[in-house]
Amino acid sequence: MVKGSKNKFLDFLQILVILLTAVFILVPIYWIVSGAFKQQVDIFQLKLLFTPTLENFEIIFRSPYNLFDKLVNSTLVALSTILIAIPIATMAAYSFSRFRMKGERLMFVTILATQFVPAVVIVLPFFILFRDLGILDTRLALVLVNLSLVMPFAIWMIKGFIDSIPLDSEEAALVDGSSRFQVILNVTLPMALPGVITAGIFCFILAWNEFLFALIITTNKAVTLPVGLSLFHAEEGVLWHLISAAGIMIMLPMFVLATIIQKHFVQGMTMGAVR
Amino acid sequence: MASVTLKNITKSWGDITAVKDISLNIRDNEFLVLLGPSGCGKTTTMRMIAGLEEPSEGDIYIGEKRVNDELPKDRDVAMVFQNYGLYPHMSVYENIRYPLKVRKVPKLQHEDLVRKTAGKVEIENLLNRRPRELSGGQRQRVALARAIVRAPTVFLMDEPLSNLDAKLRVSMRAELKHLQHELRITTIYVTHDQIEAMTLAHRVAVMDNGIISQLDVPETIYNDPANLFVAGFIGSPPMNLLKGDLKEGIFKHSNFSVGVGFGECQEAILGVRPEDLELTGPDNTDCSGRVYSFELTGESTLVTVKLDDDRLTIRGPKEYRVSIDEIVGVRINREKCYLFDAVSQNRITS
Repeated sequence: MVKGSKNKFLDFLQILVILLTAVFILVPIYWIVSGAFKQQVDIFQLKLLFTPTLENFEIIFRSPYNLFDKLVNSTLVALSTILIAIPIATMAAYSFSRFRMKGERLMFVTILATQFVPAVVIVLPFFILFRDLGILDTRLALVLVNLSLVMPFAIWMIKGFIDSIPLDSEEAALVDGSSRFQVILNVTLPMALPGVITAGIFCFILAWNEFLFALIITTNKAVTLPVGLSLFHAEEGVLWHLISAAGIMIMLPMFVLATIIQKHFVQGMTMGAVR
Repeated sequence: MASVTLKNITKSWGDITAVKDISLNIRDNEFLVLLGPSGCGKTTTMRMIAGLEEPSEGDIYIGEKRVNDELPKDRDVAMVFQNYGLYPHMSVYENIRYPLKVRKVPKLQHEDLVRKTAGKVEIENLLNRRPRELSGGQRQRVALARAIVRAPTVFLMDEPLSNLDAKLRVSMRAELKHLQHELRITTIYVTHDQIEAMTLAHRVAVMDNGIISQLDVPETIYNDPANLFVAGFIGSPPMNLLKGDLKEGIFKHSNFSVGVGFGECQEAILGVRPEDLELTGPDNTDCSGRVYSFELTGESTLVTVKLDDDRLTIRGPKEYRVSIDEIVGVRINREKCYLFDAVSQNRITS
């Protein structure tokens, strides 16, 4: 009896913690979503019932905000980044996973170490480099910066997935008549695909949300969505209703992406654990 | 079809030497088994033949051609792996077709070849399935089909039956033997299971610690072991090995003496197989001791008798019954005694 009531109390506690965590995570999202459909006068009122409007979305896509241009910039930069990063990272990860090289460990640690350097430290050298190359405020500059940010992460992540693939299938393919490149293409890659897709999603998220470099390197033509948010400061203060609407435009592709590839995502995250 | 020749092959990784200067000629159409315990270098030897490992020293020939510098794909060998090495993202049909595809066999022949091969290993009805939907035995057949679909020069099999249950292993063993006889392809087979080696091989190479301890036909390996390692490794239950000394043809154990008619060695080991010992009453016999365990195997009985610090396993008739701790006598068949030098481990012969 005592044991039963103790269990019930623990169940209750568990549910309470889950609910509190959910509230903690969901309230800001609710605030942004509701704010996007509120008029400016309603924004600080915590009313649950209000007259929704799509006006905020119309405003952010109009001059002077022109969010569509920033949406295009963000999309092109993030897509170009993963389209370049993932194939190269996959090859690098395969090499690290399968071949024994001199100084391999040092190389791998060095690649990872670049992740530990605070972005603020390297933003100025990048700025000077791009200024000298004449590519400031271009998407190319942003793609290059993003590549330097996502590549080490992608290599490390994909290597983990390739490590968990048994060697037997690859060796069987070699003996069956494949070249090393055919082995990667026909055997390793299809088996590592959930992992590669997972790495791709993470890289896309990193590139899509990248703020600091975009803020320093772009001024007008190549401005991305996160930087675009800073435009919503006006004489009347911070335009939270517009920021909320723009925030939804930033979050929306993430939600869509996560929903479409959820299956791969989960499979990729648990791939190493299940044999 | 071709012979395979290894000339003074050595394989080392830093200080560790897995294979030490072995030379071996595997004849055309021969079924050769590399037999030995884990870590004896048998798989490394096979992987060097396949091209998956590079020998540190020595030459490998397939037919007349030196293949040391050839990639695995250019050696025209097929390999069956211990864990099958199937492609999990492909169907059984695609798995079997893969070697044809990468070797650019004309597409029109693919279907016919795949179906014929699948028929040979009786998996025609599984062609649309994925490997994960198959049992261990079925996966093994797919791996075999993939290996034979393109009629390679040499077959390499790395413990292909070790993941199967005992019953399936026996039936697959027979099928492998039949398949090799039918296809007449030079086959090199790695196993640590001496029954597999004895039943499948034309010749067995027993490996120990990176060297070939003995290379011969199974009967000779069993009946005429060259050294203590081979004697102890071959046979199930293994040969009884008893320490003693050998003087003027008489082997003296702490418990008994037996005249073997030849030899002189201070530290000798007497080897005698369980089937060459006979259980008798405690009197008028070669030695006697207490029964330590009694096992019924169906076709015979196994009795373990304690002789001082040693144990002696005797294969008895299936009707034989005895109780634990009962004192029994053991008669040794002197014609079937093996003697070894305990120091050099070599066989002492007359």
